Amino acid sequence: MDSRKAAMVETSPSISVSEAFIVNALCVLALAFAVWASNTVFSIDLVSHPSLTLFFISIAELPIVILLYSRYRQNRQQCTYLRAVARGVLGIPVGTLLNFLGAVALGAPVKFQYLPKTINWALMMSVFTTVPASCVLGSSWADWRRIFAQTKPKGSIEYLICLPAHGALIGAWFGAWPMPLDWERPWQEWPISVSYGTIVGYLVALVASLGFILACFRSQHIKSE
Amino acid sequence: MSSISCTKLTLFTIAAVTVQFIGLSIFVFGFFPVKPLLTGHSGSKSFRRPTCDIEVANQSDASLPPDRLRFLYKEVSEVPPLYDRLVLMVIDGLPAEFVLGKKGQPPSKVFMEAMPYTQSLLANGTAVGYHAIAAAPTVTMPRLKAMVSGAIGGFLDVAFNFNTQAYLEDNLLAQFFKIGRKMVMHGDDTWLKLFPGLFERHDGVTSFFVKDIVQVDQNVSRHLADELSRDDWNFLILHYLGLDHVGHLGGRNSALMASKLFEMDEVVKTIHINTLQNLEDDQRKTLLVVVSDHGMTENGNHGGSSYEETDSIALFIGPKTHAFNHSSSNHDTIFQVDIAPTLALLFGVPIPKNNIGVLISQMVDSLTDDQKLRALQLNSWQLFRLLQAQLPGLSCRNFLCDTFITNSEPTISECKGREEKLFCCLYLNAATLHDAWKANVFSRSNGTEGYNSIVTAYHEFLSSASEWLSHKAIDKPVNLLVLGVAALIISCLTLLGLVFVIHKEIPSWETQDHENYVKPWKFDEVFILFGILILVISMGSSSMIEEEHYIWNFLTSTINMLFFRKAMQSLDLNKVHDISGCQISSLFLILFSGRILGGWHQGGVNWTNLPDIAKWLEQAGNQYINWIQIASCAMVIILGISILFLMKSKTKVLTVIGFSFLMSGLLVLHHFVKHQDISASYNKDANLSIQIFYAVLGITTIAVVVILPWIMTMQTPEICSRKNICMSASVPVEIQNMTRILVLKDSLYIVGCLYITFWCLLQLLLQQSINAMPVLLLFIQFLASMLTFSSSGSCHKQWVEVTALYNLGMAGHFALGNSNTLATIDVAGAFIGISSHSTFLSGLLMFIITYASPMLFFLSMVLYISVKTTIYAPVIRNGNSGQILKTLLGFPCLVPLTINSVLLTVYTIVLLLMRNHLFIWSVFSPKYLYVCAATACVYIGVIIVVATVLHTYIVLFWLRKSFSLSSKDKGT
Repeated sequence: MDSRKAAMVETSPSISVSEAFIVNALCVLALAFAVWASNTVFSIDLVSHPSLTLFFISIAELPIVILLYSRYRQNRQQCTYLRAVARGVLGIPVGTLLNFLGAVALGAPVKFQYLPKTINWALMMSVFTTVPASCVLGSSWADWRRIFAQTKPKGSIEYLICLPAHGALIGAWFGAWPMPLDWERPWQEWPISVSYGTIVGYLVALVASLGFILACFRSQHIKSE
Repeated sequence: MSSISCTKLTLFTIAAVTVQFIGLSIFVFGFFPVKPLLTGHSGSKSFRRPTCDIEVANQSDASLPPDRLRFLYKEVSEVPPLYDRLVLMVIDGLPAEFVLGKKGQPPSKVFMEAMPYTQSLLANGTAVGYHAIAAAPTVTMPRLKAMVSGAIGGFLDVAFNFNTQAYLEDNLLAQFFKIGRKMVMHGDDTWLKLFPGLFERHDGVTSFFVKDIVQVDQNVSRHLADELSRDDWNFLILHYLGLDHVGHLGGRNSALMASKLFEMDEVVKTIHINTLQNLEDDQRKTLLVVVSDHGMTENGNHGGSSYEETDSIALFIGPKTHAFNHSSSNHDTIFQVDIAPTLALLFGVPIPKNNIGVLISQMVDSLTDDQKLRALQLNSWQLFRLLQAQLPGLSCRNFLCDTFITNSEPTISECKGREEKLFCCLYLNAATLHDAWKANVFSRSNGTEGYNSIVTAYHEFLSSASEWLSHKAIDKPVNLLVLGVAALIISCLTLLGLVFVIHKEIPSWETQDHENYVKPWKFDEVFILFGILILVISMGSSSMIEEEHYIWNFLTSTINMLFFRKAMQSLDLNKVHDISGCQISSLFLILFSGRILGGWHQGGVNWTNLPDIAKWLEQAGNQYINWIQIASCAMVIILGISILFLMKSKTKVLTVIGFSFLMSGLLVLHHFVKHQDISASYNKDANLSIQIFYAVLGITTIAVVVILPWIMTMQTPEICSRKNICMSASVPVEIQNMTRILVLKDSLYIVGCLYITFWCLLQLLLQQSINAMPVLLLFIQFLASMLTFSSSGSCHKQWVEVTALYNLGMAGHFALGNSNTLATIDVAGAFIGISSHSTFLSGLLMFIITYASPMLFFLSMVLYISVKTTIYAPVIRNGNSGQILKTLLGFPCLVPLTINSVLLTVYTIVLLLMRNHLFIWSVFSPKYLYVCAATACVYIGVIIVVATVLHTYIVLFWLRKSFSLSSKDKGT
């Protein structure tokens, strides 16, 4: 059983450093474009229209993430590109629900007026966390468990899924800390500071994942030699 | 790995806790000095020379009617009252700088022009103004107390005054009331809280709506015309809040400030013109005193001890121009406490007993020399009496009692030495000179020279005594504080070291799966440590202290989510009946309950007005709350009994215990149903039923804890027979030990269930009815945690689990509506079921109510130890008593002690660093009281856990000889 699993992992596609760099760069660009466009074209920002801006960021980021990550799906023989895209789309509601529940459990307000904000934030989180994973991993529970519960990514593509997702989650967690302070700033409202934290954590983790992939390749190189 | 023996561990822990306790006591007494206050009120005795004999209480004063007392005072005081009526106009938050300027400079032009009438009075000498330095905390209530009593109260005086806000110490208003003066108050209702029942008429306005800057003052001024036309009062208090509100809204330079000052100027004008009129009409002399309780910073805040905040004003406006010596400097600096003795002497009442202020001599300039000296003498006597109370060594016996008037030239000695000697000497100098002056009444050849030397001597004594007394009230002895902090740090380090040592010992049950130790730090362990670090850091921020409930809630739910993640690690979707499935569902339950608990009370300070479940339910109606209360009670009973019967080995004892749960639960239910709408504390019948409940609870708990191990021992043969091991002729020691462990586990399980169920029932009764559901949810959370941890095996480290439970307890503490301000303490609940007033019982109940959730954590520790016993079984089977006890009690006792010690130490240091912070009195000091009470709670909780486990263990293991012999006899 174990040996078969290991064999499967080895067959799962790996990603070269330059490719990983391109993927990351495109993700960052999409994010930057979303923020820029919402600011200039629609003249909204996170502080004034949090839920609209979050929705816009998710919409802009979503196709890039799905289309890019679906290229690196597991089991290419049995799974077509379109199927991977469909899996990614299916990952949106699941991820949104999970992130929504997580946010509420950690204290997000559940009043009606906050509902759209929480949902849109959860949508953005799902783009960062579950959507890439569902594109690549599909419904393999063992892989999901390994990446999200045990944080033991194997192979370069899994680093690319695991680190940004964890970065976004940890960033969001830290983003909640300024909320109870009595500075009376508009950005202390839910979910603005949390969203800032999410984005910062995501970006930092994207850079970090590149580093890991680089290290991963180095060690493989040494091994093969 | 070297291991520490149980005896050593115990000794070290006890030593650390003792050091901690001593350090804490030293620090508290250093930081919050409790100065001896004189009780009672000054009477005619204060007009007599202080003596060395034990002063007998003068009964005659109290029995005198007001008029007679007034005449008595007039007769013995020898200082005629200069005025008949007093108008005390308090302008909240007015800095003296606005009126008098700063350092010889006149105030800014805007403010000069805003108060034309007052400035003209100051210019022509009708009014005399002072910078009156206020003591910290510069907030209204303590400042008002200082003004009317001349005393500076400590923080603890305020904090321990839960029951009443009324000011019971000696003060001007009480003195006025005693001699039958009529008093009227319009303005801030703080006066009404401080002096209930003293005012003939009053109209209180509340300072709650800070944004209201117009109506608060109109509500005062609307009475002005009416009051000034009446002549039935002697003391009129007007307290204007508007200026303080303007400051809070816009700071010192607010655009509204000038118009508000002009409004105040108009009031001064109205009163002063009326005063002059009265003087012409009926020769009654009115003194108008304009004071402020404190100043304000640039931003309009106050509370701290910066110059801007302490610079309050005292403006005396007499009816006549010649009342004050025009030539003297107009802008002297006095202390706020000096107002009280001055007013007392001007109005012919005794100086309040605890006054530390000094007479403003400029105010009595119109008296004769004799009278002025007499006034100084009265002030000195009063201060001398206060000094005697604070310095027991100050006897002056040899001099004081034996001094008699001699005709010889008085001798003045140079004064130096320790406090006692110094004050004694200074006082005697003045007294001797004064006596000599009086003796030579007919031959005052040296005239003003002699008089001036007496005045100087008196002032020397008064100012040094006053300074020393006020320093005593404010100053903090640095040595004590450093000593206390050092002791706390030492004990904290010791406890941390102990936890580290027992954590390092790899327990033998872990050696089988050594995989756990490959990776030294797991994510949840790192997070727990990180969480404590965050708590420590957040303690330095006043708003994080105010909103501490968010931190605990956030940390607790994050920890539970990490446990959730950990449970996922071993979850296999293919196997349906998995242990982790049970774990996941109970963790889900904990998270869900935690979320409801978090939303139950909108705690803290800044967002209390936001809607929450409690407010929503209160709006929905009382009947829903009552239904929820009854349902929660029923659920607690059902859950308690079902948890009890979850126990694996069934004995007959279970039925009895279950029956006791049911009975006490029914008692509570009966109480709820019967006394739904009547407030319980005033109903005799309700009181009786509550007292019966207390008795049943107490007796059952003690009886079960004491007797249960014995009964369980008797039933051991049954367990043995079921396990089919005991009946064999030769019983190996190991198996005997194993049997005992099982019995220990069972009896601890029953006691643990009993503890937490009874505690929850007690809380249902004591807490406000709105808190019934949170109590149930907490109960559920703890039970679900037990379920999780019992099935988790050795997946988590033990200290992680104990810390998680501790966090659960703290989050629950805030979920029950507690906060770090003293205002949320449920005082009403402290009288439930008590028929006669008893401070001890009320305090105990208050503690039980406030620390419901942390105590629940400690009581659940007994259950936790029982649940975990099977996992330690391998160790215990081979170990000696010391090792077994160490395994059982080590982490459950040391971890809470250590966490609390870390928080206590850090917070003590924070308090020391923040001693000059703006919020030291409003945020940091109340929080420190909570931290101290939490420490007491930890001590009590640990003692309960240790006592229970130790008792059970001793009964089971020390009596094993007799019991095993008897069972062997039966067997053979």
